Amino acid sequence: MTFNKLSLSLAALLCVALPAMAEIDLSGSWAAINHEDSLERGGGPYPADWAGIPFNEAGRAKALSFTQSVISMPERICWFQTQWHIAAGPFSLRMWAVPDPLTGKVLAWMVGAWETRAPMTIYMDGRPHPGKNAPHDQTGFTTGGWNGNELIATTTHLKTGYIRRNGAASSDQATITTHFLRHGDMLTVALLMDDPVYLTEPYILTRSYNLSTNPVAIGGPPCIVGDEGVESGRVPHYLPGKNPYTGEMTKYYGIPEEAEMGGAQTMYPEYRDKIKDKFKLPAKCTLNCGGAGGN
Amino acid sequence: MKRKLFVLILAGVSVLGVRAYAHHSFASTYLEDQKMTVEADVLQFLYRNPHSFLQLTSKDDKGKEITWAVEWAAGGQLGASGVQRDTLRPGDHVIVIGQPGRNPEDHRLRMINIKRPSDGWTWKGSFD
Repeated sequence: MTFNKLSLSLAALLCVALPAMAEIDLSGSWAAINHEDSLERGGGPYPADWAGIPFNEAGRAKALSFTQSVISMPERICWFQTQWHIAAGPFSLRMWAVPDPLTGKVLAWMVGAWETRAPMTIYMDGRPHPGKNAPHDQTGFTTGGWNGNELIATTTHLKTGYIRRNGAASSDQATITTHFLRHGDMLTVALLMDDPVYLTEPYILTRSYNLSTNPVAIGGPPCIVGDEGVESGRVPHYLPGKNPYTGEMTKYYGIPEEAEMGGAQTMYPEYRDKIKDKFKLPAKCTLNCGGAGGN
Repeated sequence: MKRKLFVLILAGVSVLGVRAYAHHSFASTYLEDQKMTVEADVLQFLYRNPHSFLQLTSKDDKGKEITWAVEWAAGGQLGASGVQRDTLRPGDHVIVIGQPGRNPEDHRLRMINIKRPSDGWTWKGSFD
């Protein structure tokens, strides 16, 4: 009887001491490892490299109309990226919890900003997303919940943005689902983009970070508008069929143009078998030959 | 030895995090396998984030004035390599070597090397 009482007391104590759900602490400075997709996250991708993006025809057509000079239009130099830039950009993360001052319960998780991305507020208090006619912006509206030790955040109400820094676009109807998975001193963030306007399947990217004692800035340096060579009023673009840079992945890396143009099939490993007869390994890599400057 | 150095660099990057990368893609903006030389006068030096820009003015074969926009590193990165906001002044005559922009009408370069013949001052490097 005494043993049973002790067991009950211990069980009750455990229930009180542990959070109601298996949430874990994600706060801290997370330094980006960037061992995956180093060119895409570093210097940036080639202008017509859309392999692995599950485009539909509208997504591909929009991407083909894009020239990087658009980002040098004075009104767009300091234009924020959407929260997808967590996946596609190179930066580290700073995360912290916002508690209720009376109960200590976490009301929201914050992911600090960069110079080109607004902070992400992940509301944890059960509030609903705004109605479908509510305003959209680059930040979007994000709510979260725990699935075991995994924080899952859902972002809606975004404006159009980029899913790759070469013009592959996401629409204002897109939803980003972000999974935060902590493994000791490592953090994996997996982002899924669902976009009924430009994609036929969800597009998924993962990133990894190491916990760091060196504080990651929560805002980044300020962006300042200046002349980048595109005068006000000019809207750089390519008309349909006029993008001059398709075929560069073939020229530099022997990758067939049909793979360069993306589409859901290019995401899957078996696609390699389909194009293996069209792939020609270059005799020597001459440009952007892998991480750490390797050739 | 090389392997140790690589591991050390990687560790450094992991600890410090990554800063001051482009807001756009360099491979999409510039012809990275080409170089171009421009000899011109400084019009303006924008020492700023996300990247600095050096505006130069020169004349083409027909005497028409051209303004060049030369992209350079972020202010913090330049400061660390000894380039200050007043290092270059309007009117300075310079020779710049850079990667040409993909869109010729932008008259744009990504800085590789700059030299001011009047006093021999020079900068050479790379940045992301």
